Amino acid sequence: MGTISLKNINKSFGSTEVLKQLSLDIQDGEFLTLVGPSGCGKSTLLKIIAGLEQQNSGDVIIDDKNVNSTRASKRDLAMVFQSYALYPHLTVRKNLETPLKLRDYSFVERLPLVGNFVPSRKEKKKSIDDLVFKTSETLKITELLDRKPGQLSGGQRQRAALGRAMVREPVAFLMDEPLSNLDAALRVHMRSELSELHNSLKTTFIYVTHDQAEALTMSTRMAVMIDGELLQLDTPSEVYNNPSSLRVAEFVGSPKINTFAAQISSDGSVEFMGIKLERKFNTNSQKALVAVRPEHLEITKDSNKPAFEATVSYRENLGSDIFYHVQVDQSESKIIVRGSPQAGLISNGETVRISLSHAEAMLFETSGERIR
Amino acid sequence: MHHSKAHIWFVWPAIILMIVILILPIFLAGGISFTNYNLGNSSFEWVGTENYEKMFSRKTYIKMIISTATYVLIVVPVSVVLGLVAAIMLNSLRFGADIYKTIFFLPVMATLLAMAIAWEFTLHPTLGIINSFLANGCGGIREFILGFHWLPWVSSEDSWYSVACANNMDFPYWLKDKKTAIWTICFIGVWQAFGFNMVLYLAGLTSIPRELYHAAEMDGAQSTWEQFKLVTWPMLGPTTLFVVTITTIRSFQVFDTIEILTKGGPAKTTYVMMYAIFEKAIQQNITSIGAAITVVFIIFIILLTFFQRYVIEKRVHY
Repeated sequence: MGTISLKNINKSFGSTEVLKQLSLDIQDGEFLTLVGPSGCGKSTLLKIIAGLEQQNSGDVIIDDKNVNSTRASKRDLAMVFQSYALYPHLTVRKNLETPLKLRDYSFVERLPLVGNFVPSRKEKKKSIDDLVFKTSETLKITELLDRKPGQLSGGQRQRAALGRAMVREPVAFLMDEPLSNLDAALRVHMRSELSELHNSLKTTFIYVTHDQAEALTMSTRMAVMIDGELLQLDTPSEVYNNPSSLRVAEFVGSPKINTFAAQISSDGSVEFMGIKLERKFNTNSQKALVAVRPEHLEITKDSNKPAFEATVSYRENLGSDIFYHVQVDQSESKIIVRGSPQAGLISNGETVRISLSHAEAMLFETSGERIR
Repeated sequence: MHHSKAHIWFVWPAIILMIVILILPIFLAGGISFTNYNLGNSSFEWVGTENYEKMFSRKTYIKMIISTATYVLIVVPVSVVLGLVAAIMLNSLRFGADIYKTIFFLPVMATLLAMAIAWEFTLHPTLGIINSFLANGCGGIREFILGFHWLPWVSSEDSWYSVACANNMDFPYWLKDKKTAIWTICFIGVWQAFGFNMVLYLAGLTSIPRELYHAAEMDGAQSTWEQFKLVTWPMLGPTTLFVVTITTIRSFQVFDTIEILTKGGPAKTTYVMMYAIFEKAIQQNITSIGAAITVVFIIFIILLTFFQRYVIEKRVHY
């Protein structure tokens, strides 16, 4: 079992409120990502779940048990830290043994020298050795067991840190941006490894990241947090395609979603930049914001399609895609459009016509709420 | 690659200086220690190992070795442990840490010479504040605490305190008594050294990443002792090595307190090496004996350095 639920968590450091009335239910075996910009309180929330930080009010419930007054070491959770926090003076093997020894050995058995004479220790040592070996096999770090963390590369340290968390089969894994210290290629590789690990362990993972790509690729559900509030909790595709507010839409997705001022006529039809949306919306507001992802805009040569004109000011060539940053006369902000490399490069300064690739767009109130 | 000789030009001033003011005097001292040369003499004779034989046979020099060893073996461990304890306690304080830091560091900053004079007054057998404090406490709570009457096996009639009270305030003479002099000197040494060790340990403590304590907590290290054993002590390894080395070398070099307070007495119980060198070579002008003691002194320091360099350093650096 590994269900964790948070009820009305509040946390402030001095006068700064970090978490505001945050509630969250995490199901057993789920890969939940807490994602949000730096300083949104996601790491603090993870520490509160772990018990390393105490909330000002609210309840943390693990497996139907309130653990507000249970200290971190008694909550049976394992954590992977951003800096890995391996014990630098111990070999990888000793690092992996530490959580097992601290939990399984009695006080006498842990004593140096004297401990060796306690008969029960031998048996326990055997089972610890087996567990360490098994874990190192899973993570492919068996040949690194006798090295110290200082002699390992970033990726190997990351595995060792994972191993130390995995070795004792905790209720849930808490990961605090574990991939942020790796280089780009390794990070992408580790994403798939972590997903596989989650599939094979079937334990609850709570994963904190500011990198939405990690959140979108790995998680079963992602929780988008901004300014200490939980804005949306849903599957990655739902969060991406159907964001509940403009802040979520703007945070998730790279490059950032484009927004346009729109007018709503009394019959509910919406018009922006001379383009009329096919769908009608049921709202009383007259002004709203239309948000369109870069891949839903296209550069068109078809003069019949409703479109607006803009000047290309910058080109981002990613190989598989090209993103054009274009400037529209009236507005000061830039718009990003995805173009395909097959269509041929458009040079800076050229004027292009931009239309919707399929006539769908999300509509938001000027205050940021979604109009459906 | 082009082989230039420029590096030699950069290095030789330093090498020459080192040879002239460091290496040469050591060899000179080594040479003199095998002669009967005294400063001002126009000639000398080689006497072989006579000076060293004297050192290891005469009672004075045996006492010198004993008092130096006592001083080092007491001051080093006590001041290192006290420094560590004080640093850990100060590190956990929220308020007032700066005040305590200043108090504990004061003896390090102050001139030991001036401090020694203050101690001389404090420890004076009849006029000193310590003995008058003890004398005024006879029969009171001070007697109970300092006489260890609270320990079950100490009877209140024959504790050292009660005996002193009964014998007309016969409290220890501290620096004037050959039984207590070296211990009093050690106490002053600890008082003077531990503040410095504390500051070094405080610096070491702040460099331990907080995440390691979090990791230890998550791994199940519950008691402060477990966390100390798993994180604090190993992470302080390099600091401890440095602190122990520097304190040992400084303890071997203790001189000013001895010169001011005891002049090596009573009965040569505080006759430490540095003072012996000073007394023989400078005051009595027996340069050859002074040189022999210096050579032994240097050998001690070199052995210590090698021990630190090749034995311990391998264990504390990762």
